[in-house]
Amino acid sequence: MSAGHKTQFWTIARRDSAAGYLFIAPQLAGIVTFVLLPLCLVFWYSLHEWNVLANTFNYTGAQNYRMLLEDPSLPAVLGSTALFSLGLVVLNMSLALLLAVLLNQKLRGIAVFRTLFFSPVVVSLVAWTIVWGFLLQKNGGINGMLLFLGIEGPNWLREPVTAMISVIVVQVFKNVGLNMILFLAALQSVPNELYEAARIDGAPPFKQFRRITLPMISPTILLTSIITIVGSLQVFAQIAVLTQGGPGVSTTVLVYYLYQQAFQFHFFGYGSTLSILLFVIVACLTFAQWQLRKRIVFYEN
Amino acid sequence: MSNRINLKAFAAALAVGLSLAAIGTASAQEAVNLRMTIWSANEAHLKLFNDMAAGFKQSHPNVTVTYESLPFDTYTTALTTQIAGGNAPDMAWIFETTAYDFVNSGALYPLGDKLNAIQGYNLAEVSPGATERWSKGGTLYAYPFSTSPFAVFANNDLIRKAGAKTPDELIKAGEWTWDKAIETASTVGRTGKGGLIIRDFNYQNWQNLAAIWNGFGASPWSEDGKNCTIGDKPMTDALSFIHDAIFKNKAMPGPGENVDFFAGNAAMTITQISRASLLPKQNGFEWDLVPLPKGPAGEYALIGQAGIGVMQSSPHADVAAEFVGYMTNPENSAKLAQFFPSARKSLLNAETLKKTNPLLSQEQLEKVVIAGISNGKVIPGHTGFAQIQQMVRAGLDAVWTPNADIANATQKICGQISPLLKR
Amino acid sequence: MKTELSPRAKVLVYGTMCVLLIPFVFPTWWMVTSSFKPVSDIFAFPPQLIPRSFDFTTYGQVFTLQPFAKQYWNSAYIAAVVTAGTMGISSMAGYAFARIRFPFANAIFMVVLLGLLIPSEVTIVPLFQLFLKLGMVNTHWPLILVPIFGAPSVFATFVMRQFFISLPVELEEAARVDGLSRFKIFTRIALPLARPALASVAIFTFLHSWNLYLEPIVFLSSADKFTLPQALTQFTDAYGGPMWNIQLAAATLTALPVLIVFIIAQKHFVEGLAHTGLKG
Repeated sequence: MSAGHKTQFWTIARRDSAAGYLFIAPQLAGIVTFVLLPLCLVFWYSLHEWNVLANTFNYTGAQNYRMLLEDPSLPAVLGSTALFSLGLVVLNMSLALLLAVLLNQKLRGIAVFRTLFFSPVVVSLVAWTIVWGFLLQKNGGINGMLLFLGIEGPNWLREPVTAMISVIVVQVFKNVGLNMILFLAALQSVPNELYEAARIDGAPPFKQFRRITLPMISPTILLTSIITIVGSLQVFAQIAVLTQGGPGVSTTVLVYYLYQQAFQFHFFGYGSTLSILLFVIVACLTFAQWQLRKRIVFYEN
Repeated sequence: MSNRINLKAFAAALAVGLSLAAIGTASAQEAVNLRMTIWSANEAHLKLFNDMAAGFKQSHPNVTVTYESLPFDTYTTALTTQIAGGNAPDMAWIFETTAYDFVNSGALYPLGDKLNAIQGYNLAEVSPGATERWSKGGTLYAYPFSTSPFAVFANNDLIRKAGAKTPDELIKAGEWTWDKAIETASTVGRTGKGGLIIRDFNYQNWQNLAAIWNGFGASPWSEDGKNCTIGDKPMTDALSFIHDAIFKNKAMPGPGENVDFFAGNAAMTITQISRASLLPKQNGFEWDLVPLPKGPAGEYALIGQAGIGVMQSSPHADVAAEFVGYMTNPENSAKLAQFFPSARKSLLNAETLKKTNPLLSQEQLEKVVIAGISNGKVIPGHTGFAQIQQMVRAGLDAVWTPNADIANATQKICGQISPLLKR
Repeated sequence: MKTELSPRAKVLVYGTMCVLLIPFVFPTWWMVTSSFKPVSDIFAFPPQLIPRSFDFTTYGQVFTLQPFAKQYWNSAYIAAVVTAGTMGISSMAGYAFARIRFPFANAIFMVVLLGLLIPSEVTIVPLFQLFLKLGMVNTHWPLILVPIFGAPSVFATFVMRQFFISLPVELEEAARVDGLSRFKIFTRIALPLARPALASVAIFTFLHSWNLYLEPIVFLSSADKFTLPQALTQFTDAYGGPMWNIQLAAATLTALPVLIVFIIAQKHFVEGLAHTGLKG
């Protein structure tokens, strides 16, 4: 009778549950060990003053959080962070969309262009940034090309505005290929009948784009924008190689500031507090975008 | 807290376990593995250090010393990350700028007594000026194994071609002053080549500008390190002078311009004499090495230092201290001196130096090296230097623009760093 | 919008694309050509598009200054292992989140998604301590384990889940009626259909691992264990002064093979990416 009992216990639902847990077990264990546990520890550190060199680790309660509110550099850092992320997302998304639309044309040799536009994605990030560091020097390649056109270029990495533009642009050229391909796929999945109907109605191309293309690819736009924003808040190597946060603090974004406080100034406690702040910002932004999706994004069904 | 201690014990146990496994013998004496973090990955340097480790092993067969080369740029960061993670090395090289941090924090094992106890070590012959930064309360915490004077390298071919006076000519005429030096640099700079380069400055490492402003009697903060003097007249004078040299006279490469002296593209560079090894071996140019020019405040010299410290947290700190003593004893110091100039008086004579610096003439050695090491001030440093460095760098960016308001910018910097200096 | 363009429009599209291409192609071109130039020509102004002379000795020096071949191998094998591991772990988890009903599935998925939101800088110190405890500092384990199981794999899981959601259920339903177990349905039916999504996961994961910069700096300390991005910043003289042309030669060596592989396989690359199921 035990066999019968067994079948009763292992109902389809139960068997499914067990399978589900088994399937996600490795990932979940990894998240707990490598994400949640470290995150809790970071929060724990943020309640301490931790002097690495003297090997002291003292509980200070909310001291670091008070420091956060009073930190004179923080407003500027948050400002740079917002500027960087905003600039990056806007430029990345619009360039990606433009390239995708161009590449969506039926033209000979289009695959060659697609490959070339995508190629920086596969170049190693550090190599790419090092090369741009050379090119953006006052007497570097970019200004050399501008001179060819009769323009005297600015000192890109040494003036606050152009330095910010530089770090954004370098990052955009590196990664825009990814979004470009995702948009291209979305564009190609828009049913052709919709355009034909619009053409019969006599709608001009721009109107077609606004009325049909944009709504149809809006789910892709949302997802790529979330990924791009979250990614923009984690940009580190580019700033470390190109500007070291300067000139002044004009390109010191939150991640770089966090790195400075924790690893360069050795304030691991305060650095942990900044980590928590960064985490809260990313979480809020993602939540907000996710909420937005319900209102803006168009779904076929 | 207890968690961290367990961690350390665990790491220690692990280290011992690994070393035992590696040796694989049932040696009665405990095997000791020592690790030293360094910022050089140069083969010749490493060969010398490994020879020293082998030499030490002869008298201490159970001790194995390994060297870990960390990237120069991020050296201190990588080192503190190791320490924070509970994986501190047993010994570490320390930059002069961060020396105060390490010495004052209690992270280092007191070396002084240990070194004095070594027969024939003769710590007394190292000048007090050289050990000042590495001591606290009369005890030496790290040994300054490299004391390297800053000097001017000149490309005489380039200078003559531009029709300017070479440093040597100026010295002979008794006119080797900052004004004249900038004149020469400016003449070359206007031909499209580089004028004078403060090597490694790059508008980031402003402390290297001490090579100029010390000649103006300027310093970033008071002797005791408590008060900001960047806004004082000597410093603003010096910064105005440098500003003019860059933006008016084209005597120094501006921000974002890269010129390499050692590739033959600039008239002069100020750097530590150890960089003589970078001079081109083929297709070279006629070069010269001269002391820093005279400033408005008179003659002066500047030195850069590097120290070796033993970590207090090392389970074998005493053995590590012995090794540092062996590595820097008079005999080995002489060997080190071919790469890292020694502050030992017995090694500070032209004959000894000539052996290890074949590129330099007797006169250059005397005027630049010996005089520099004996009289030089060490480049600025402070407790919490990384943060101060960063703030001053950010503040000075306002100075490195063509129409800078230097008085205003320097006042602002002092306003920002004063609380840090007093801490 | 797939209509034949007028000749004028064609010229316009080609022209726009050619201009836009400059910033995408010029850096790579400059990197490759400058690696042959003597240092003094790297900073020549205006820059030389074609080197005056070709000096190949820099490429030899890349290998003598560092164990570059070993470092190349390190980067390659780590990226390969991470890619394979992530494909396995993430397709399983993604499938479960998309298809299998089990208690708290959504809550757990939210927890897993947290991984997407945490920059690696945030958790690097605790992770360093963890791996130190495990005796894995200065080994490749942290660079393998964390990406496969930790935060970086979450994106892959997300992509796989989105893909499986978009897959028609009917095929699997039939298999279930035939009495196939979940695991068999997964390996025999779902996974083969997921090839495009797996391809994109593979690309993302490989590139992520290949580009990893902060983690190797923190976890690795001996040159023969370094990965390529870390090694690239190590081409300096004894005093930290950069050796520009050698650095560029090394940068070229890290970029070119991947670029070539990409150009050969670009069709699969791009199609894989296009099928990520990132359609909302």
